[in-house]
Amino acid sequence: MPIVTALYLAYLAAPILLLAVGSFGELWTNTLLPTGATTRWYEEVWSDPSFRRAFGVSLTVCAATCAATALIGVPLAYAIYSAAGRGVRVAARVLYLLPVAAPPLVLGFGFILVFSSDALPFLGTSWLLVAGHVVLTLPYLMQTLVADMRHLDLATLERAGESLGAGFFARLFDIVLPSLRHSLASGLIMVAALSIGEFQLSNLIAGFLSRPYPVVLLQAFYGATGFACAGTMVLLLLAFTAALGSAVAGRGVSLRQGGV
Amino acid sequence: MNKAPALTLALAAPGLAVLALFFLLPLGVVVAEAFRGDALARFLANRELVASLLNSLVLGVEAAAVALVIGIAVALHLARLPPGRRALIQVVIALPLTFSGLIIAYGFILVLGRAGFVTMLLARLGADPATVASFLFSEWGLVLAYTYYLTPRVILMLVPVFANFDERQLQAAESMGASRLRALADVMVPQIAPTVAAAFALVAAVAIGAYGTALALVGTQINILPLRLYSMVADSGADFPLAAAVSVVLLAVCSLLMAAAEIAAASSEARHAQH
Amino acid sequence: MSVAVESLSFAYAPAGAGVSGITLSLEAGEFCAVIGPSGCGKSTLLRLIAGFLTPDSGAIRIGGQDMAHVPARRRDLGVVFQSYALFPHMSAAENVAYPLKLRGAPRAERLRRAGEALERARLSGMADRLPGQLSGGQQQRVALARALVFQPRALLLDEPLSALDAAHRAAMRDEIRAIQREHGIATLHVTHDQEEALSIADRVAVMRDGRLLQVATPRTLYDEPADAFVAGFVGHANLLDGVVRAPGLVETAIGTLACATGDHTAGSTVTVFFRPEAVRPDPEGAVNRFEGRVVRDRFLGSLRRFDLAVAGGCILGETASRRDIAAVGIPPEGIRLLRR
Repeated sequence: MPIVTALYLAYLAAPILLLAVGSFGELWTNTLLPTGATTRWYEEVWSDPSFRRAFGVSLTVCAATCAATALIGVPLAYAIYSAAGRGVRVAARVLYLLPVAAPPLVLGFGFILVFSSDALPFLGTSWLLVAGHVVLTLPYLMQTLVADMRHLDLATLERAGESLGAGFFARLFDIVLPSLRHSLASGLIMVAALSIGEFQLSNLIAGFLSRPYPVVLLQAFYGATGFACAGTMVLLLLAFTAALGSAVAGRGVSLRQGGV
Repeated sequence: MNKAPALTLALAAPGLAVLALFFLLPLGVVVAEAFRGDALARFLANRELVASLLNSLVLGVEAAAVALVIGIAVALHLARLPPGRRALIQVVIALPLTFSGLIIAYGFILVLGRAGFVTMLLARLGADPATVASFLFSEWGLVLAYTYYLTPRVILMLVPVFANFDERQLQAAESMGASRLRALADVMVPQIAPTVAAAFALVAAVAIGAYGTALALVGTQINILPLRLYSMVADSGADFPLAAAVSVVLLAVCSLLMAAAEIAAASSEARHAQH
Repeated sequence: MSVAVESLSFAYAPAGAGVSGITLSLEAGEFCAVIGPSGCGKSTLLRLIAGFLTPDSGAIRIGGQDMAHVPARRRDLGVVFQSYALFPHMSAAENVAYPLKLRGAPRAERLRRAGEALERARLSGMADRLPGQLSGGQQQRVALARALVFQPRALLLDEPLSALDAAHRAAMRDEIRAIQREHGIATLHVTHDQEEALSIADRVAVMRDGRLLQVATPRTLYDEPADAFVAGFVGHANLLDGVVRAPGLVETAIGTLACATGDHTAGSTVTVFFRPEAVRPDPEGAVNRFEGRVVRDRFLGSLRRFDLAVAGGCILGETASRRDIAAVGIPPEGIRLLRR
């Protein structure tokens, strides 16, 4: 059985390793591995104006998405947790399922129909892109936060705070937010990773000058191998960093909860 | 825990407003557009679109089945590892979940494309590179690439179920006279079946609804529903009512699968909730 | 049917814990409890007999047949697990009927017999409930009914009461004993609770570090423990290091005690053992008299357990008297010397 896991991990690693090798390879045409080593491709990606702009757009959109998701997500999660009714529970479950049940492609088409109208002419603006990313990532943050609130038994912690004389805001800033910091961090890094890598919705609704990195990257696939590899590696490294960051922050959650 | 409903509503309001404006409204407009006129009837009359729907369903089932087989094998192994090692490997396995579909597509082009690493290896053994590459750019290539980000979902869903399964139940069955195989079939399989079914439906829905990886890998050459929809939408001046009908079909398929997954998961949760 | 193990040994790879050289036999219908601290090998012994582990050496006889290498499913033993191991996807009735199903009993008969078994366990109304919908005590009774319904050759209980709260535990203890009597089935009951073992078993086996220290009736075990460990593990005990000075006299840290020294020769080191209830709080004219101060006094209702600090140590005593205590006497006949 360990062989299956080992083979699986090899399958996971193979494309990534080849991307890394390819991004430093001078020339890669009809050979097993590229010949010659160079950092030229990264320099080219860095100096390419459309890549640079796209990178900036992606970071801006990502930061705005994280901020907006946190601002509306924490109160919403708290409301879902507080309203323990059956209807709310079902609604929350549906919310968690939405990113898969409603494909981003369909949502993107909906954006085109709604926001290219004369009444709401916002298609192609960056803030609409942010709104799209918020809607796509919000369910993941909700799920993380609500699960953590249940696990912590936040209601009891708050009752304890109340019995000690803490008012609503004191409880919010002294109890609720501090005890959620690990899951909030872990969830937001997840949001950042999803936002940085998002292609399917952005590809449909981004304006030409506010195209995020993945949308621009697709064009590179039809050019030189090394350039495409280097461009992809940038995205991969960002995703990697975010995923590991999320895991480390999430580890804080499990450590505090007595897990291993 | 009984907060004033007004406060709860006030806290939820911004989130609900965002979801209403940027989720319900767009989807509502799409659905309304699809039901205006005869778009749905034209969808059903269009052979190519119906064929793309069937292709998508087949692709979804194939990709989900492959992901399930690999996922079960890996999850069974992980469930037996000590929790510390298991958590570490799970972090690695979860990495592809945040990767953009583009990364995976280009990675597989490097592995199995016309000049890919494995293609070249096989060419040295006498295979025709064009044949190998045509595999990647076929439906099976999509299955291979989709498996990359479907399998982690399967594994992450199944590991807790396998790890929480009390092995004593198998011992109990054996002490009553059951063979190992019989014990597995009577005791373990019925308990994990709902989660396996839920995982299958979930990843099938993901595979059917996605277009990013496919677009990067094969352009719009393969006739699957999301790629058809993408070309209709990207090509402005196209038939938007028909595109809306395609959207509604896609939405319906994915939602039904998710509902099935949810029902399966709920049935297993209800059973374990009181423990 | 009888159950016996002979020179049974098993070591968990690569090194260490397991059991070694265990010889123990249960007659048909006998109730034997195995006790010992955690890690002493008592559960390993049960798993070996059940067939979940294969011994490195030794024999396991059930009804005279050596079963050491027969798989668990052919041993025909009823096992109740600490976690009960009820199948969560089967109702109570289906759980109980399952061993009958494995034996090819027709559906109607299975349901009838499972129904009867549940009725005997006072669970007739619960037949269709899933295990998750039953209380701990009810789950326990289902597990017991399931282990007995196929008329196994012996019953193995692995800490079956440890998941219950104290109130249910005592009641369930009596119930298990009653059911066991009714079935007349040889039963091995593994537990870490010595009080439970003493109250329920015909004989009690004490284990430590994979070895069997003593097998005896509860009364013998309590009155005549084989060594200091058994004396300390079973019930409360005063245990003092001592040296035999002369026939009838032992020197300890709290002073010299008069007691029967038997065949312990002068100069030999022993452990002096006496139960707290042997300690007399009214020491007028007593032989072994000690004065001191009560440093801890626990009122337990029908009795009172106190620590009396004396020069050189502390004496644990029990009495029904509620008067102040300043001195105690230890009658020589209450003292036993254990080899060290």
